[in-house]
Amino acid sequence: MTTQKPLELILARNLMSALSTPAFLVDEGGVLVFYNEAAGALLGKRFEELGTVGAEEWGSLFGPFDKAGEPIPYDELPLVVAVRNGRPAHADLQISSADGARHQVEVSAFPILTPHGSQGAIAVFWPAGSSNGAGH
Amino acid sequence: MKVKLWGTRGSIPSPGPETIRYGGNTSCVGVTLADGSMLALDAGTGIRSLGLALANEPARLHILLTHLHLDHIQGLVFFAPAFQPQTEIVIWGPASPEASLRDRIARYISAPLSPVEVRELPCDVSFRHCPQSEWEIGSARISAASVSHRGPTLGYRIDDGDSSLAYIPDHEPALGADLDALEEDWISGLGLARNASLLIHDGQYADAEYPDHVGWGHSSLSHALSFARRAEAERTLLFHHDPMHSDERLDQLSSEASQRWAEMGGDPGTIELAAERAEYELPTRTVSAISAT
Repeated sequence: MTTQKPLELILARNLMSALSTPAFLVDEGGVLVFYNEAAGALLGKRFEELGTVGAEEWGSLFGPFDKAGEPIPYDELPLVVAVRNGRPAHADLQISSADGARHQVEVSAFPILTPHGSQGAIAVFWPAGSSNGAGH
Repeated sequence: MKVKLWGTRGSIPSPGPETIRYGGNTSCVGVTLADGSMLALDAGTGIRSLGLALANEPARLHILLTHLHLDHIQGLVFFAPAFQPQTEIVIWGPASPEASLRDRIARYISAPLSPVEVRELPCDVSFRHCPQSEWEIGSARISAASVSHRGPTLGYRIDDGDSSLAYIPDHEPALGADLDALEEDWISGLGLARNASLLIHDGQYADAEYPDHVGWGHSSLSHALSFARRAEAERTLLFHHDPMHSDERLDQLSSEASQRWAEMGGDPGTIELAAERAEYELPTRTVSAISAT
């Protein structure tokens, strides 16, 4: 018998697929298992081109930087805090897209908690200056 | 493994002359394992007839509840073995952060909805949350997984020898999802149904009815067929018939299902609409319909 992803991740992906807000999904092990089309537009690369990316690896793909332009340690990224500590996290940061351009974004991440414990986390990116999160 | 359908209707019992052939009782499937162990999948009103048929059967049985909507538990207080002191009943179901399985079921088996309370049932009854990992009942290995429906809901897979039954009666896997494009592990319930000898799956709505019921937790005919195609089950029964669907309407849907299944490359003889009292025997790699009366 094959194993399905936890239902909460399946439903989260289904919801994210319908949103125009860039959103990222990691599983309980921190593996990046999905991001939506809006996030793909922001990064300059669709999820289908990239596929799943292991924990510790995906952070560097987007090069998150702080306001001073310094790389943000993986452990301090909101999505990592959410999945590891089981609590929401928020940050202002810059990400770099495939063409090298940098984008200022606000990131809110929250854990996906279920009766069986944490199943992962979701991060939503709000491009700076956007009122609806879809203005990139 | 022997399978008998005691209730195939969804939502609410629908007795009457227009539902005689497919039946009006709500969800209940009886399963007899190779070692003689007895399972009941859901406890809709169909379990009343199952209980009457079990008069001389083993005094221990397991009831596997997919969820606690009334059409899946309404028959519990009319299940004759529950009123026999020599009977042991184990009721399995989904966990919820809100309350235990026993406490949630007791909301129905208590005043003013019921004349008896759980503690008054003469049988030896226990309640267990389904584990996330596989477990054994009799000669079978049981798997449960959360599936897309409203509220905590499980689908089940029963593997007994080389035969397997997947039971996902209330299921909307296509909600916000493209069943033809998604990877297998991203489709709700597909792991349970994969290559099953017999798949019993939600097929409540005709395609034209579905747009008015998006998010209600049930499948359209197209979605059920797409799910079955991805699952590659040997035989599929479309289940949980809408209470508004008469025998005549279900005959039409059955013909449409067979035709479209053939167009998808399937054997039209391997898909049908579930009919109350139909029986199936699941020998190795071949499913036989014993009767469908």
